[in-house]
Amino acid sequence: MAVMSSLAPAQLPLSIGIRDDARFANFHCGPNEHIVHALQQQWTTHGEPYLYVWGKSGVGCSHLLQAACHYAEGLGHHSIYLPLDELQHYGVETLDGMEQIPLVALDRIDAVAGHADWEQALFHLFNRIRDRQGHLLIAAQAAPNHIGVTLPDLCSRLSWGVVYGMTELDDVEKAKALQLRARRRGLDMTDEVARYVLTRGPREMQALFDLLERLDVASLSAQRKLTIPFVKSSMGW
Amino acid sequence: MTGLWQDCTSQLQHELPAQQYNTWIRPLLASENSQGQLVLSAPNRFVKDWVKDKYLQRIQEILSELNGGRITHVELAIGSAQPMFQVPSAARAEAPARPAPPPPAPDYGFAAPPTSAPEQGELLPDSAAVESTSVSTSVNTSTASSGRNKRGVQVEGGVRHQSFLNQDFTFSSFVEGKSNQLAHAAARQVADNAGGSYNPLFIYGGVGLGKTHLMHAVGNHLQSKNPNAKVLYVHSERFVQDMVKALQLGAINEFKRFYRGLDALLIDDIQFFAGKDRSQEEFFHTFNALLEGGQQMILTCDRYPKEIEGLEDRLKSRFGWGLTIGVEPPELETRVAILLKKAEQADMHLPDDAAFFIASKIRSNVRELEGALKRVRANAQFTGSEITLPFIKETLKDLLALQDKQVSVDNIQRIVAEYYKIKLADLLSKRRTRSIARPRQVAMALSKELTNHSLPEIGSAFGGRDHTTVLHACRKIKELQESNADIREDYKNLLRSLTT
Repeated sequence: MAVMSSLAPAQLPLSIGIRDDARFANFHCGPNEHIVHALQQQWTTHGEPYLYVWGKSGVGCSHLLQAACHYAEGLGHHSIYLPLDELQHYGVETLDGMEQIPLVALDRIDAVAGHADWEQALFHLFNRIRDRQGHLLIAAQAAPNHIGVTLPDLCSRLSWGVVYGMTELDDVEKAKALQLRARRRGLDMTDEVARYVLTRGPREMQALFDLLERLDVASLSAQRKLTIPFVKSSMGW
Repeated sequence: MTGLWQDCTSQLQHELPAQQYNTWIRPLLASENSQGQLVLSAPNRFVKDWVKDKYLQRIQEILSELNGGRITHVELAIGSAQPMFQVPSAARAEAPARPAPPPPAPDYGFAAPPTSAPEQGELLPDSAAVESTSVSTSVNTSTASSGRNKRGVQVEGGVRHQSFLNQDFTFSSFVEGKSNQLAHAAARQVADNAGGSYNPLFIYGGVGLGKTHLMHAVGNHLQSKNPNAKVLYVHSERFVQDMVKALQLGAINEFKRFYRGLDALLIDDIQFFAGKDRSQEEFFHTFNALLEGGQQMILTCDRYPKEIEGLEDRLKSRFGWGLTIGVEPPELETRVAILLKKAEQADMHLPDDAAFFIASKIRSNVRELEGALKRVRANAQFTGSEITLPFIKETLKDLLALQDKQVSVDNIQRIVAEYYKIKLADLLSKRRTRSIARPRQVAMALSKELTNHSLPEIGSAFGGRDHTTVLHACRKIKELQESNADIREDYKNLLRSLTT
């Protein structure tokens, strides 16, 4: 397979794009099942075409937005995922013409809140998407009225669809999420190991998944199962 | 050629990390230009430049390999060669020869040059419009209100005009209340007597209060009276974009002809014309031409014309030639009526006490009310629950908790002190001069209205006052709102800034 050097991911300064493993099947819903349901219902007759999902960093908003993009693609609808925290330096032109794509997923909208040019561009994009009856997903770290948007026209539109606040997983749910992710990677993680990792490891979900990735690599290279002694030695705990 | 592109994307999908492929390659739309060359259309310049820098060389290599070593010319463009909605292929086929090499179908909003996919407001050949409708329906089968925004009418010469009116926004679906009854009556007048003395009709007010709804209602009424009427609804941004494109393409005359040939032009949110001098200039002339021709204009804005900064004085003055009318935030009864109406439209049973509860908690604008109702509906569908007051309280608890957090007594005191330009310490002090006591009474009345605190709690938060003092303040402010326009205005402004 010929792979041109310019295609190497290292040359891309941005990580814009959707992770292949960010799927609904790979997401432990826990108390957020209704949000996943609403995202999947988007394309049905009773679905709401515009959803706003908010939650603290690490609760899974980005995962859900990306999963929604995968889901839409699976139904034959094009989609684009735009993390605005990474794109803000490229200017508001990034949003031009995006209404032509049936599903636009705007992540971290709070990153551009308070910037007059971005707020106006988002307002216009919202109108254009609505005119075309397109689908729009927005994620942020706080509810629409709490992200510092100064343009009232935009602020009111952000509350127009269905707004969902993500509930952070408790430890029991975090363990389940970790086990689900491990299982999807072909790893068997027992309840004891999951509890151990949660007790000793980081608290944030994304950091836990990163840790799982390291454990996966270590387990593969050592040809060992995930046991408490193995985790302990691999992580240096 | 597009088949070749399919093969190319399959290979790129193997070569590229999935996220890169999905973000940059997947949105590209392939088409063929008149010379048989492959045209890849990116949604905007940013994506186009990115693809050009990072992937174009490899794309050409793959295409060349797939094409038996023959070099395949690839053109990158901005826009949609095959717009995903409203694809009027017949229109494109019937279009006159394009200049070579033709760019793939950028969006135009006016009648000419006819090199593009017809878009908002464009005159379409009849057959194309019919086809575009069928395509739209097939694409949007899952959308409940598919096609409701794109109303085409037969006009002279066998072409169709698209008004872009939302057919859901009619007078019958508009809930009239004290806050909007003047605007509603004026819109009715205009609908029955378009081009008459209320021209232009200028509707102003805060966000989400029904300005756009009224505007569409007039447009829909005009078209129901005369199906051949050329009515066009556009957002101000669209007008500006069209004009810029017209200038770029040397098609300003077509632009003028199109906009000046309308029977009614409805432009939303004209405050976004501010600072765009060339657009204002063109709009000024369009405005004059339409007015002179007796065609109706309806404009909406978030503020009174004279208050729009960055707008030419001559435009401000002309906006006042017809009728300028404001809409206010709906009062409780209207909010309840709006909720019940929306619930009825969504075929959902909303008990009166539940509607009252939502309306009493969400005051800022109709969009938020609608958002809350959608949330209730979605949750009811998900859980299979009946919509009752307890269910609504549970469903909206996070939303309402945020609102309560936002409107605290502390917050009210701070905002009121800032509004009246007095010190917070004075507001809480024992001073009883009118300049301090009145704002204090306003703050107390607002605290009673916007928070769930009891009268003794509010009294305590205002420097340890008795609950009867708070009660007196609430009664006094209510009385003054009836008799004193300044207090009424102050209270309304404060209520708006605290609940938006």
